[in-house]
Amino acid sequence: MTRISPETPAGAAAAAPAPWSIRLRDATVRYPNGVVGLNKISLDIEAGEMVSIVGLSGSGKSSLIRTINGLVSLSSGTLEVGDHRMDLARGRELRRLRGQIGMIFQGFNLAGRTTVLNNVLVGRLAHTSVARTLVGAYRPRDRQLAYEALDRVGMLERVYHRAAHLSGGQQQRVAIARALAQEPGIVLADEPVASLDPPTAHAVMGDLRRINRELGITVLVNLHLLDLARGYGNRLIGLRAGEIVYDGPAASATDADFERIYGRPIGDQDLLGGAASSASTASPVSLPGEPV
Amino acid sequence: MSAAEYPGLPAKPGGRWKIWLAIGIIAAITAVTLAPGIGVDFSLDAILRNWRNGTEKIGQLLVPDWSFFPRTIAPLWETIQMAIIASVIGAIVSVPLSMWAARLTNPNPVTRGIVRTLLNIVRAVPDLLYAAVLVAMVGVGALPGIIALVLFNVGIVVKLVSEAIESGDPGPGEAARAAGATQTQINRAALLPDIWPPFINQALYAFELNVRASTVLGLVGAGGLGLLIDAVRTFYRYDQLSLIILEILVVVVLIDWASAVIRKRVK
Ligand SMILES: Nc1ncnc2c1ncn2[C@@H]1O[C@H](COP(=O)(O)OP(=O)(O)O)[C@@H](O)[C@H]1O
Ligand SMILES: [Mg+2]
Repeated sequence: MTRISPETPAGAAAAAPAPWSIRLRDATVRYPNGVVGLNKISLDIEAGEMVSIVGLSGSGKSSLIRTINGLVSLSSGTLEVGDHRMDLARGRELRRLRGQIGMIFQGFNLAGRTTVLNNVLVGRLAHTSVARTLVGAYRPRDRQLAYEALDRVGMLERVYHRAAHLSGGQQQRVAIARALAQEPGIVLADEPVASLDPPTAHAVMGDLRRINRELGITVLVNLHLLDLARGYGNRLIGLRAGEIVYDGPAASATDADFERIYGRPIGDQDLLGGAASSASTASPVSLPGEPV
Repeated sequence: MSAAEYPGLPAKPGGRWKIWLAIGIIAAITAVTLAPGIGVDFSLDAILRNWRNGTEKIGQLLVPDWSFFPRTIAPLWETIQMAIIASVIGAIVSVPLSMWAARLTNPNPVTRGIVRTLLNIVRAVPDLLYAAVLVAMVGVGALPGIIALVLFNVGIVVKLVSEAIESGDPGPGEAARAAGATQTQINRAALLPDIWPPFINQALYAFELNVRASTVLGLVGAGGLGLLIDAVRTFYRYDQLSLIILEILVVVVLIDWASAVIRKRVK
């Protein structure tokens, strides 16, 4: 099974795009109902960072992630991704920028009744004409990128399976392949393992870390479990009520830091447990085989 | 008032009176329509008086004129063809229209409203009326029947499928939007795959209805068996009419069965 690795020829063939930085200045998100999702946030994320974002439910984690690819628009403030003003982008330009930003969801968001391949090809839509999309005639290079992405997450042999017939962990890997097929500069993940059992959760988090380390892509992951946040992120951002209340290295964040972010004592419900994550070791952990 | 029952109990949501109002209105309308003088002329008396006449006709209906069969084949086949052609055209037209009519696949409230309003109008007109008007416009034959059935099909398929789209999972579409897809691409690549089953279901259902409807459309000159039914009826040939009814019955049962088999496989 081919895995992502700097030496993999497949990885070299697809000229990996440069990772993107993210720059937010006084960014506020106020929803139409008046709820403030983000409150005057300023944040710099360098290209190639792996960032865990933690906070209680409702603290603004999803708002932050969804702002970065323009699914939620800023009410005020500015947002730059790479060298581009995301907050000013509209129409074609907005779609072009979104095409460079992969997104992974808690619920996988695959079209269940079609094949794994067709789902991964959704990652190529920003580079595919509407006419080609309508008749399903993707270019050979786009198919090639889809196969490579599936190979990287170990799902190539499922390429013609129906997405709905896969297990949760497999579906999330297909979703990661869909993001990778975009050849993204940034990957955003919104609670990517909240619907998975502990071993599968660690496997998927391992995949995300590998994307960051071996492809150099900037990765932002929303999490609510502190051991995952500490174990897989290099940097930790804590949100409370739409504001950044912690920003520092992930590995050295103490339980007291988490209690400050959460505003309450931490307990077992804040930990996933399961396979120990090697946060400090630099070498990539080998994944367990196919999770269930 | 709620505070008396239990402290802090929120106010009861209103709306129950609406149900009672609806029941009251329906009861009132029923009473009016049956009232002598104003409403429908419904009298047991008249039914009894005509009974003798009726039993005679039923006697004839019970003995089909089998020798009439060869003359029914061509019109029967035309009826089935009308239903098939109309169902296929209606289904093809319904795919984009359903997507224009559903919020998930068309976030633009203006175009969505226009499509929905047009479809409400299309649905409000009975198919027999379409057929009658179209016969006047394009002449007697299968063509006005087919057009009438297409309009009928589009009306129901688009309504039912756009409702199925609304209740579907927005997740795949959101993922495609996040990947930089246009709305058309989102609809085609991420949402259409999961819309197929309800779509096939409703298209087959429309086809079943078409076989029945197309037999009647001929009564106003829109082709198929209806033309023949009209002819034998004018000559009081109830034995021939009963053969036609029998044939329709067999065809309808066969098509319902076939469509049930297909639907089960699509699930
Ligand atoms: N589409 C929306 N409309 C209105 N309010 C929203 C919307 N999305 C999120 N919110 C509100 O914004 C706040 C932050 O939510 P969210 O970013 O989803 O937090 P988290 O992902 O950390 O749970 C919450 O109070 C939530 O209710
Ligand atoms: Mg969230």
